Amino acid sequence: MKRKLSLLISLLMVLSLITACGQSQDSGTASADEDVIKIGVFEPLTGENGGGGLQELGGIQYANKMYPEVLGKKIELVVVDNKTDKGEAANAVTRLIEKDKVVAIIGSYGSGVSIAAGDIIKNAQIPAMGASCTNPMVTQGNPFYFRACFLDPFQGRVMANYAIEQGAKTAAVIMQNGDDYSVGLGNFFINAFKELTGDENSIVDVSEFQVNDTDFNAILTNIKAKNPDVIFAPSSATTAPLIIKQARALGIKSLIMGGDTWENPAIIDVAGEDAEGIVLSTFFDENDPATEEAKKFVEGYKKELAGKEPIIPAVAALGYDAYLLIRDAIERAGSTDGVAIRDALRETKDFEGVTGIINFTEEGDADKNIAVIKTVENGQFVYIDTVVVK
Amino acid sequence: MIEKVENKRIRLLINIFLAAIFVAVIVLLDTKKIGDDYIRRVLNLTAIYTIVSVSMNLVNGFTGLFSLGQAGFMAIGAYTVALFTVPLQVRPNVFYMVPQNPIIAQIELPFAIALILGGLLAALAAILIGIPVLRLKSDYLAIATLGFSEIIRIVCTNAKSITNGALGIKSIPEMPTMWVFFGVAIISVIIIYLLINSSYGRAFKAIREDEIAAEAMGINLFKHKVMSFAIGAFFAGIGGGLLASLLATVDPRQFYFTVTYNFLLIIVLGGMGSISGTVIASFLVTAGLEVLRFFDEPLTLFGVNIPVFRPGFRMVIFSLLLMVLVLFFRNGLLGQKELSWKVIHNWFNRRGKKKTGKGGVA
Repeated sequence: MKRKLSLLISLLMVLSLITACGQSQDSGTASADEDVIKIGVFEPLTGENGGGGLQELGGIQYANKMYPEVLGKKIELVVVDNKTDKGEAANAVTRLIEKDKVVAIIGSYGSGVSIAAGDIIKNAQIPAMGASCTNPMVTQGNPFYFRACFLDPFQGRVMANYAIEQGAKTAAVIMQNGDDYSVGLGNFFINAFKELTGDENSIVDVSEFQVNDTDFNAILTNIKAKNPDVIFAPSSATTAPLIIKQARALGIKSLIMGGDTWENPAIIDVAGEDAEGIVLSTFFDENDPATEEAKKFVEGYKKELAGKEPIIPAVAALGYDAYLLIRDAIERAGSTDGVAIRDALRETKDFEGVTGIINFTEEGDADKNIAVIKTVENGQFVYIDTVVVK
Repeated sequence: MIEKVENKRIRLLINIFLAAIFVAVIVLLDTKKIGDDYIRRVLNLTAIYTIVSVSMNLVNGFTGLFSLGQAGFMAIGAYTVALFTVPLQVRPNVFYMVPQNPIIAQIELPFAIALILGGLLAALAAILIGIPVLRLKSDYLAIATLGFSEIIRIVCTNAKSITNGALGIKSIPEMPTMWVFFGVAIISVIIIYLLINSSYGRAFKAIREDEIAAEAMGINLFKHKVMSFAIGAFFAGIGGGLLASLLATVDPRQFYFTVTYNFLLIIVLGGMGSISGTVIASFLVTAGLEVLRFFDEPLTLFGVNIPVFRPGFRMVIFSLLLMVLVLFFRNGLLGQKELSWKVIHNWFNRRGKKKTGKGGVA
């Protein structure tokens, strides 16, 4: 019985291998005849970043629902999971290119997996559009990788600018050790702040904490002694409220600022009253849509999300933009050739996305000129300002 | 008697034939006559997983040391390859936040040398950590080695001027041929196979079965343990180096201790103390996960969209398959046996015997 069963299982595995190969080959040839254009999406749907990946995928799928066609053909999304794992990500992207014959790729949440996929994309000459991967290395030296989000240097600069406008002369920075997003953003803030104040000593303290740390009293006591005007603490939405709460509990009155990850209701839920007055920058504001497209998106997607999530996650908006940018480029290229789409993407001019007007820099990064700054008032995220940087 | 010799000869011929087919398939794949990049990539990953799993089996399965430090040793190998093979001119782009340490920034090594250096450094680290830690037994050893692997990861995260910290390193040159991965895998498996069947290997197994008895037989426990640990680390380092070159990028998050569990899964599945079992299990787990992607795709049967077929579903199926396999193969696929014609023969024979009860002929 056991042996039969085991034999059956191994048979099943082998069979599925054969059928999987056979099937996808069939569909590969079939898609050329059918009027379908395939766009690959690789996102972490399981593993560490599964939650964020799903939010981003939601935006992409909604965009596909709104704009299902290009060049008179239907667009089919092929979604693969990269498990927040680099090896899997490389496999998944190769699969998209080789088996599914996609013409373009969107993704991924998390820069590490995007970097792992980068060289494969470059060699296969398939254009890819990252939605929220902010690490500069994703697009660096890779003519086929673009991204729809603004970069950490820009965000760091915006926040430094804002801090100085508020009259800040000194700042302290808290970063999460081992997190490329947090460390990157923190460092760009430090550089911008020093440059704008013209004072090397304007950053009074730089501290790093470990993943899953919950007690920040040591760091904060240290910072309190140095009494900076602002504290910049780019960190995840699970850590941020703890930092905010503990800082206020210690009697730190400084302005506390964060990055786009802070636009998460969890922060207000956990930090409660202490969250009042924190400042963060983000990609877009659902209450003050930057473009016509944004108005449509906010209205439609709100209905879609009703009962699931209270606010539209910024990564969903970016996913939506990533899809539209690719679709727009295919349309302008008039073909599904990778190089042609890439060239069309490069020529993207003042594209009206949900997250602002988008152009691309030489490296393929979105050259956005706006960032939205928000604060928390009476338990709500409140729009303060849209910063336009030239 | 003559028949037996005949049998042996036939089996040898079949073995050679099978090996030839294997080599031919790889050659065909490698020259791009058959298959595509996807298959090649999955197989390369399988080769790397085989190296690391077999090395882990040497320590855990054959010497009976429950070590969970594999991810750490892989990280050492991967970072050594990454640091020394990234072309000099692209380094400033990679290390854009904190410039690379000026001494290392001048050194570029050929891949083969960097790979072996990575293995040696991993082995050195294993000896250093092994001297105090291998005095511990069972659970305590597992905890200490797990801690060690985390230390390596945290060092990689913090030594920014050397490893680029959390940002990781990219632009590691890619290998032009599959033989880099398969060649090293085949050589590693052969070396470990020969080692296990040598007097050292017998000593390892004796230690696994009963330390006191082994010591009484004159085996230097400590020396053999450190040796097994260091050799295991060497091959894990090599595997890590190959992984870095396959993915063309490394970052510390790749080497969380959870990675070690992948290999633990493979050796438990294949059989603690079976090299061929480990090789088969590496293939099953790595390729199996890719095959199961079928479950992630939407499925429409008779015009009805089956809702459970969506991204993530394959992991459910994968876990179910694992549970079934572990339930029915308590000791893994091959236990402590090696795959041989005898094992296959016995396997079918036993099956046949059961059938004869029902009237069938074996």
